[in-house]
Amino acid sequence: MIDVTSLLVAGIEFGSLPQQLLNGILIGGVYALIALGYTMVYGVLRLINFAHGEVYMLGAYTALFVSWIIYGRAQDPVTVVWYALPLMLLSAMTVCALIGIVLERFAYRPMRNQPRIASLITAIGLSLLLQYGGQLFLPVSPAPNISGKVNPYRDNLTFYLTQPAPSLVRAADALKPEMDKAKAALDEQLKLEKDEFNLSDTGLALRKEFFERQSAYNKAQGEAQSSAISITLPKGQLIMFTVTLILMAILRHIVLFTKSGRAMRAVSHDFDSAALMGINVNKIVTLTFVLGSALAGAGAMMSATFISGVKIDTFFGLLPGVKAFVAAVLGGIGNIPGAVLGGILMGVAESLVVWAGYDQYKDAVAFLILIVVLLFKPSGLLGSNKVEKV
Amino acid sequence: MRFWGVRLASIAGGIGLAVLIHWIALSQLSAFGVRLVVLAGLYVTLAVSLNLINGITGQFSIGHAAFYQVGAYAAGLFTVKVFSSQPLTFMLWVPVAMIVGAVVASAAGLLVGLPSLRLRGDYLAIVTLGFGEIIRILSQNLKVVGAASGMAIEPKMLSQSPMVWLCWLLAIGSIALCRNLLQTAHGLSFLAVREDEIASSAMGINVTRTKVAAFVLGSALAGAAGGFYAHYEGFLIPTQFGMEVSFIILTMVVLGGSGSITGSVIAAVALSALPELLRNIKTIPLATVIGLTIGVIAAVSLGRRWSEQLHGPVRDRVLKLSGLTGLCLGGGYLLGLGLRALPALSEATTDGNRIRMVIFAGTLVLLMLVRPQGVLGHREFGLGKWLREPAR
Repeated sequence: MIDVTSLLVAGIEFGSLPQQLLNGILIGGVYALIALGYTMVYGVLRLINFAHGEVYMLGAYTALFVSWIIYGRAQDPVTVVWYALPLMLLSAMTVCALIGIVLERFAYRPMRNQPRIASLITAIGLSLLLQYGGQLFLPVSPAPNISGKVNPYRDNLTFYLTQPAPSLVRAADALKPEMDKAKAALDEQLKLEKDEFNLSDTGLALRKEFFERQSAYNKAQGEAQSSAISITLPKGQLIMFTVTLILMAILRHIVLFTKSGRAMRAVSHDFDSAALMGINVNKIVTLTFVLGSALAGAGAMMSATFISGVKIDTFFGLLPGVKAFVAAVLGGIGNIPGAVLGGILMGVAESLVVWAGYDQYKDAVAFLILIVVLLFKPSGLLGSNKVEKV
Repeated sequence: MRFWGVRLASIAGGIGLAVLIHWIALSQLSAFGVRLVVLAGLYVTLAVSLNLINGITGQFSIGHAAFYQVGAYAAGLFTVKVFSSQPLTFMLWVPVAMIVGAVVASAAGLLVGLPSLRLRGDYLAIVTLGFGEIIRILSQNLKVVGAASGMAIEPKMLSQSPMVWLCWLLAIGSIALCRNLLQTAHGLSFLAVREDEIASSAMGINVTRTKVAAFVLGSALAGAAGGFYAHYEGFLIPTQFGMEVSFIILTMVVLGGSGSITGSVIAAVALSALPELLRNIKTIPLATVIGLTIGVIAAVSLGRRWSEQLHGPVRDRVLKLSGLTGLCLGGGYLLGLGLRALPALSEATTDGNRIRMVIFAGTLVLLMLVRPQGVLGHREFGLGKWLREPAR
């Protein structure tokens, strides 16, 4: 008889669940930023902008180049300057917005009166062109990365949700005096020794004893720490999430409370009628691309800077782009709050897969979600069901 | 009598053509040439089957290589597990394995098609893209198919005498299948769905079922091609079936003209040789690439503007536009030569392998700007004009 529950939870530690959920929400913020670009363009033009992931990629490269300009290519900054991070963010957003304008003006606008499939093919072609064409001109091998040192807030915040088990803490503390005693004895002996690197037999024995006691203490200490449920929050990612929230608030303000935002909603509701009502449709479409691309640029700069160990290459935007698209569909494509919700859910789902111990399938879960959503609720969580009319 | 005569003659003609290609390839061409012929046959199958989905039924699948891969892995695994314990000779076995590949790939097609084809076209694109990614991740992690280090297929075809005829028989069979399908009521419903989903559903066509049928049929043909590829190559690794392959097939279909079977065939033969030939070009100055790119962009943007103002006979217009294109490309090349004087670009080179995907992607974008319906559009050309009996 196989114990099913033990199979299911094999390798799962419930203590790490809060940490993984938090990771999911933080990375989900980035997905949400990219998803906003997809969903806004889809809302206005009914076009899946496949090249959006590549705009994201170019944003990361912009941030990289700016950091090279400020700190040099060696990326071993002696003094961190305060304006580096804001400058990287702003330049990534600006460059991405410009790329968005260029793509819309020269590739998508000529396609607007063609069948929809033509603009889809253009979008895919552009995405490939940027991925492979970028390899000719951008540094790809060895894959560069933005050094973690440009970020002055590298340390972690740790919160304890539960205290370490008292018995383990006591056991660890009990080992400490012995370690201290061994250390004192070793220090005494070291004063007598002539050559620190060539100890006598007594010295060697004392040093060995000290190392044993020290490792026993460290092990007990580690066990005590891991018995507590804690959350480690890198300060960089906290900044990332805060900036994400601020940008989303700005977007919300633009879309809901400005004249252009109202025009944008009108165009999204009905392209032709909006044009008849005197809205400059081309201007609004450009604005949509600018906003979406700038958000993608911000997300790219932040994920390349604040998440450690991220390497940049020309395929940097491929998976985040596709996942963000799935997030947009999950929330209801064309729906702005839906994109944020979908992005966060996507990040959480991904980190739950990692938590369950299947991290090699992390990238597949997005598409599984997509297929399930399309099967059961194609309009997405917050989307409204529209019947297509002739 | 006449009915059967025409059909038997066509079947004999198809088999004869496949055997002829086999004979010419093996007796006249080098090993590299034979490889090109085999790849051309496989790409013809893949392009025609994708054309059935994208061109004829008007859907938009961009992950066709995934079905190719599913077929290859299924057939390969089947051979590895079963071949030693069954009586068939290898020559008879390969078609059986290809059928297995086709069946498994069509099952995958059903799985992917059912949820996404109920909805409008855009979703299929992203679902097929995602399906390709899932298949890639699975094939890199599953131990039973060798994970990332690959799977050896034993036995495989002898490299000096591969079964070229089988590969081309499959290609000709796919062409015949698609062509004949379009003469039937089922095929007409495919075309009707492409032209207008709402109107065709009002005419009593079950739109979802039609789209799924086309998708499953296309996947099955791709799976059969994969089954052949597994036994031809003898070794499968996940990177052979990357997204690049999907996009190459897509470019073939789009370039040839979505909906034109002959267009897909011509484009597939022409483009399948391109990556293999480019692989041998080792150094291309980056300055020339930049110069030619600028030339192409100039040709397209000027040509688009100019062609709206041109009037007169078709021949004059074509001549003027090709003159403009030639001028722009020549100018681009000269610009490239000039750019080499810049210190940053004088030494920079690239190789054919790296620019081939740039060429494919550029072709897609430019084609959409210049001629979105593809070179042949929906037109076919064939011997029909001459073979058809005169109207009485």
